[in-house]
Amino acid sequence: MGRQVKLRLWSRIAYVDLVHEMAERLARSACFSKEGALNIGLAVREAVINAIKHGNGMDASKRVEVAFEQNANVFRVRVADEGHGFDWDHTRDPRDPDNIFRSSGRGIFFMKHFVDHVDFQRRRGHGTEVILEKRLESASRAGRGANNTRRRKG
Amino acid sequence: MKAIARHHGKVTVVDLSGKITIGEGDIKLRQAVGAILDEGRKNIVLNLGGVSYMDSAGIGELVACYKRAKEKGATLKLLNPNGKVQDLLILTKLQEIFDIHRDEREALASF
Repeated sequence: MGRQVKLRLWSRIAYVDLVHEMAERLARSACFSKEGALNIGLAVREAVINAIKHGNGMDASKRVEVAFEQNANVFRVRVADEGHGFDWDHTRDPRDPDNIFRSSGRGIFFMKHFVDHVDFQRRRGHGTEVILEKRLESASRAGRGANNTRRRKG
Repeated sequence: MKAIARHHGKVTVVDLSGKITIGEGDIKLRQAVGAILDEGRKNIVLNLGGVSYMDSAGIGELVACYKRAKEKGATLKLLNPNGKVQDLLILTKLQEIFDIHRDEREALASF
């Protein structure tokens, strides 16, 4: 494993920009293009928003952990909350005519689009961890990632 | 995010700049469009030319503004979405919902 950077934050929306900015900077330093780094930043932003809103239920006393990891092949970001878990299996397709006028429900869809793989793991005891992965060699092919969700529980 | 409204006859153009994201931009957008609707104005163009990107909350607020305008008998159109904003509108298929223009004069004449 190469370098690793970890953050522990209270569940405050004000911190979302900070994490997004850090994600973009670390992605740029991992040689992603400006566009590729923005895509990673947007995916991380959505994961952190999800952790604060749906994971921790906007409870400011609960924390969100964000870990950035990089090895020779992959830029990986883990975003973990301390909540009761949320139902990632039954997210609606926001492009469906029944959902397109909804003002929410696009966060996980954006995550899946902006990185190569998205995993959801139930944490032992409490909370959910979302793992975002972007292959380093695909940095120039920013913005792909359909049908890329893997799920593990336990 | 900044939102500056200007009137062209019966049409209000709102020049948006910065990013429309959770916690600030989405709220400013809601307030800007809400104020225009409260004045009873019915034709609104959101100029997205200066918007660098949006997140799911920003896109969601755009949809909410569209619905709120429609409920009040008003029409909301978009002008000049660029780069990432354009990508997100295509990705979410919202470009099929919104009336989107590239030229301001054309947008003004479309009402």
